[in-house]
Order: sequence, then C-alpha cells, then structure tokens
Amino acid sequence: MRQLGSWLARAGVGFVRACVVAAISMLVPALWAAAVALGIWWGAGNPWSWVAPVVLVCGGTLPLSRPVCRMVRFLVTKWTATVIPAGYREAGPVTRMSTGYWWNGFSYERTRRDALLDQKWRVRWRDPANWRDLRFTAIAPLTAGVVASLPPAGVAVAVLGLGQPESAARVVGVLGLVVAFASAPYAWRCVEPVAVRFLRPSPAMALADRVDELTAQRADATVAQAAEIRRIERDLHDGAQARLVGLGLSLATAEKLMETDPDQARTLMREARAGATASLTELRELVQGINPPVLNDRGLVDAVRALALDSPLETAVSADLQLRLDPPIESALYFAIAELLTNAVKHARATLARISITQDDTGIVIDVEDDGRGGVGVRADGGLAGLRRRLAVFDGTLEITSPAGGPTRVRMMVPCES
Amino acid sequence: MRIVVAEDLYLLRDGMVRLIEACGHQVVATAATGPETLEALLTWRPDVAVIDVRMPPTQSDEGLRAALAARSELPGLPVFILSQYVEQLYARELLADGAGGIGYFLKESVFDADQFIDALERVAGGGTAMDPAVIAKLLSSGSSNRRLERLTEREHSVLGLMAEGLSNQAIGQRLFLSESAISKYTTSMFGKLGISDDDTNNRRVLAVLTYLNNP
Repeated sequence: MRQLGSWLARAGVGFVRACVVAAISMLVPALWAAAVALGIWWGAGNPWSWVAPVVLVCGGTLPLSRPVCRMVRFLVTKWTATVIPAGYREAGPVTRMSTGYWWNGFSYERTRRDALLDQKWRVRWRDPANWRDLRFTAIAPLTAGVVASLPPAGVAVAVLGLGQPESAARVVGVLGLVVAFASAPYAWRCVEPVAVRFLRPSPAMALADRVDELTAQRADATVAQAAEIRRIERDLHDGAQARLVGLGLSLATAEKLMETDPDQARTLMREARAGATASLTELRELVQGINPPVLNDRGLVDAVRALALDSPLETAVSADLQLRLDPPIESALYFAIAELLTNAVKHARATLARISITQDDTGIVIDVEDDGRGGVGVRADGGLAGLRRRLAVFDGTLEITSPAGGPTRVRMMVPCES
Repeated sequence: MRIVVAEDLYLLRDGMVRLIEACGHQVVATAATGPETLEALLTWRPDVAVIDVRMPPTQSDEGLRAALAARSELPGLPVFILSQYVEQLYARELLADGAGGIGYFLKESVFDADQFIDALERVAGGGTAMDPAVIAKLLSSGSSNRRLERLTEREHSVLGLMAEGLSNQAIGQRLFLSESAISKYTTSMFGKLGISDDDTNNRRVLAVLTYLNNP
C-alpha cells in the first residue's frame, strides 16, 4: 500500500516535471509554428505576407534562447543537483579616462550610462555562448522535448479516446493512460544528459575564461612581487644598511681616540661588535622571510619539520615521502603552512597542531589541523583569501572547515607530476 | 690542537685560520667544498674540525652532510659547525648518535675570540657546545614549554646555560653565583625533570640536550 502511494507520488511529481520540460523546450518551436500559421493565415501564396513571420522568428529566437537555457539549467540543478556552468561572458569594468570619456573595453562614450549600455550589447552580441544556446534550443525539442511530451500526450490520448463511444477508441485511450502512468516518473529525466552534453561551456569559452583567470592572477602576482621587493628594500635600508653606517662611524671614532683615550676607544669597538651582531641577526631574519635556508638545503618536508620544531605549538609532522617540488611551489606551500601555524597560535589560541604531507596521482595534499577555538572564516581581504590566491597561481586550492569551538582543519592541494 | 677548517668563502676561511693560529693552535688543512671536507676529515683525523654548513657544489647543507658522514666512519670525531643560521633540526641530527664532540654555532660567535676558542677546546675534548640561539629555540619550542613549566626562573636559566655546554663553574661565573649554589639548583632541576645526574660534565650536557630534544 505504502509502495503504491510512493509510486503514485513519484508519478505525479514526474508528470508535472515532464510537462514543465516539454513546455520549456517547445517554446521556440511553438514560436516558429505560430509564425508559419500567421503566414498561411495572411495568404500562403503572397511572398509579402511572410515578411512579418520571418521577422518574428529571427527577432524572437535569439532573445528567447538564453532565458530558455537559463531555465533548463536552473531546473536541472534543482531536480538533480547537477550544476552546469553557464559560462556567459561577463562585462569588464567601465573606467573614466583623463579626457573625461568613458572606456568600456570596446569604445569611448561620452557618459557612463552610454558606455554601460554599449558594453552590455556588445558583450551580449559577441558572446560565443549565443551559438551554444541556439544549438540547444534546436536540439532540446527533438530529444528531451519529445520524451518529456510522452506523459502529457498519453493523458491527452486517454481523455480523447475514453470520451468516444467505440470500443477501439476506448482501448487506445486506456493504452494512452498506461503509457502516461508508466513513463511519468522517468520521462523528465532525459533533460539532464541532454543539458549536460549541450549546455556546458564549449572549449573556446572555457579557454576564454581561463585567459581571464590567468590575466587576473598575473596582475596579482606582479603586485605581490612589487610589494615584496619594496619591503625588502625598506628593511635593508632601515636595518642592516643603517647599522653598517653606525658601525663604520664607531670604528672611525675609535681609530681617532686610540692614542688619546684608549678606554673610550675600547668601548666604541665593543659597540661596533654588538652592532655587527645585531645587523647579522636582522639580515638572518630578512633571509628567513624571503627564502628560508633550510628549504633550500633540504626541501619542503624537512623545512616543515624545522618549522614545527621552532613553533611554540606542540606540532606533529607526518610525511612519509621526500619530494623535491619546483622551488616556487615549495616556497608557496612553506609560507602557507607557516602562516597557518602563526594563525593557530595568534587567533585560535591552539596548543597542538598536526601537519600531514602526502602525495597521490593528482598532486600534493597538505593538511594542517589545530585544536584551537575555530570559527575561522575567509574574508575577501583576509590572510586566508591571500593564501588561496597565492596557491591559485599553481592551480592549487585551499579548503577550510572550522566550526565555532574548533578544531580548525585546512587542506591545501596543488597538482603536480608525481 | 690540530684543526681542519672547511669554509667556501676565501675571506672567512682566511680570517678563521688567522684567528685560530693567533690563539696558538695549528690548522692542518682547509677545504672549500663538501667532498674536500670529507676527504680532509678522513685523512687528517683532526682534534676538531670547524665546518660551514652551506658549501659547493650544490650550495646546500654539504658541510653538515660531510660532518655526519665522517662521524659515521670515525665515531665521536669532534666537529664544530659554524653557520649563518641555526636550526633545531640540524642540532638534532648532529646529536643523534649520542657520541658528543659536537659544537653548533652562529658565525658571529667568532666575534668573541676567547669564548670561541674556549668552546672549540671543549668540543675537541669530547664535550658539547651549543649556540645560545639554538638553546633559546629549544627551550621555547612547544614540547619543551609544557615540561619545563615546573622549573623556577633561575633553574630555567641554569638549564639553558648547561645545555650550551658550560660547566657548573662557568655557569656560576655567568650568573654571578657560587659553584655550590649552582650545584644545588642542578640537583633540584634534575629531580624535577627525572634526569639522572652524572658526574662528568660532558655526559650531563648530553643528557640535558637529549631530554630537550625528545618530543
């Protein structure tokens, strides 16, 4: 009994879904049919009576195709949880030039409103996704549309057939009802494979997206590099260079005082020695921040072990491999782990941490876990977002799970050849 | 003492040789690369070798590897590692065989010639000498933090100096305390940490370092 009930519910839901799929996929064919009917009604023999239907078809199909595709994508995601990326081209920024005109990536316009409008139409018109959408609106009625029409068509046949007095018509009507019921739970499902196959971004669109992504990353990397160089210059200028000047001064004065006041000279030389030690310490810290020596000597795994030893957290490192990665990847991962450990001490108030480094066929996977208070979120301008951007340069990803109350787990993955 | 000096930068190697000879010791050989260092250590079997960590041909930890390789051939061969930076990881690797005769210092430790030569002599005698920077890192690391919180502040600083390789007498001089006061501190410290107190200074230092190094 319960089985029958659940089957009936599935059939009911399936019937409604099939009707929706059929209606949406038949929207454009319906427009064409309407145009043809209009032409015939105005006089099939007269070529002039076909002008308006042709304009209707051409002007209606393109604007309709995108909403139809959007709707199909939305329904597929809602019903089957399959996400199909849209891949429509995004409009770039509109900037005001020094001449006062607005540049939208295509042309100069006198006002911002004109620039935005112009850009909107150009992006829409040139979007390679248009062709894909048009193709889908042609394919969908012949595939998903036909299959999804089965249940409503069966019901229509049943209504017509059972209304007739002849027994042959009634048999056909009963058959229609059986077909409608039998196909209702399954007919709408046909839309998913069709949508997945024909609605995903084409290779050209994927490439265009990748170019946009790489352009943004290149800009990020350039800015980060410039900032890093400025920081190093400032540190050297205010630190070691200044100390060396002081050291030279002390030595020069000591040289002068050597004969007249040896005690004072000795004091100055002691100061000079302390200055040399201090500048060495500063330089060492600076080098540690640019490229930690142990990373150069031993590679990532031992460098992380050294980091764990120096950390105020009790840190366990598990890594059963000795890998040598490309130096830029190694450095990015090292500093990412260092930053995560610092966060664990500073923000999460953790006492224990666990780092595991593993490699599988797709790439290198690093897990960092602490016993802190959790509740870490990724803010757009925060350190974690910065980490994510730096890993993205190597197509790496960073996932974080951090419920309030802890623990915080971060997983970083970078693809590389094993 | 017969000493081997391994350092790839001519200026530093030359300066070191002059400093050592000015203090009345003999430099029997110098080396500028990792393989040269290993060869010099095995042929000359010096009383102590002063070795830089980073050396050609790979410009990575060639010196350290040469020292470890030589010590596996000649157990307990005294080596005195000098480096621009110190890592607990390297200190652990050096101390791992438990044979003593290890020094691990920052390069600027040569600024104080007396203390440098003193440490060098201790290492040549089979002792252990560590840069204060190594010990500071060791004492502040996560696992040490918890185990050392039972110590008083004074015991903590005595432990640090002891780990650097100093004798009770030397610790007393640094802290302006009598030798007997220091031995009182060490007894209570060893009791709290559960390390057996050994009469010879060398073995005691090793015990302390092993204790600190164990996670």
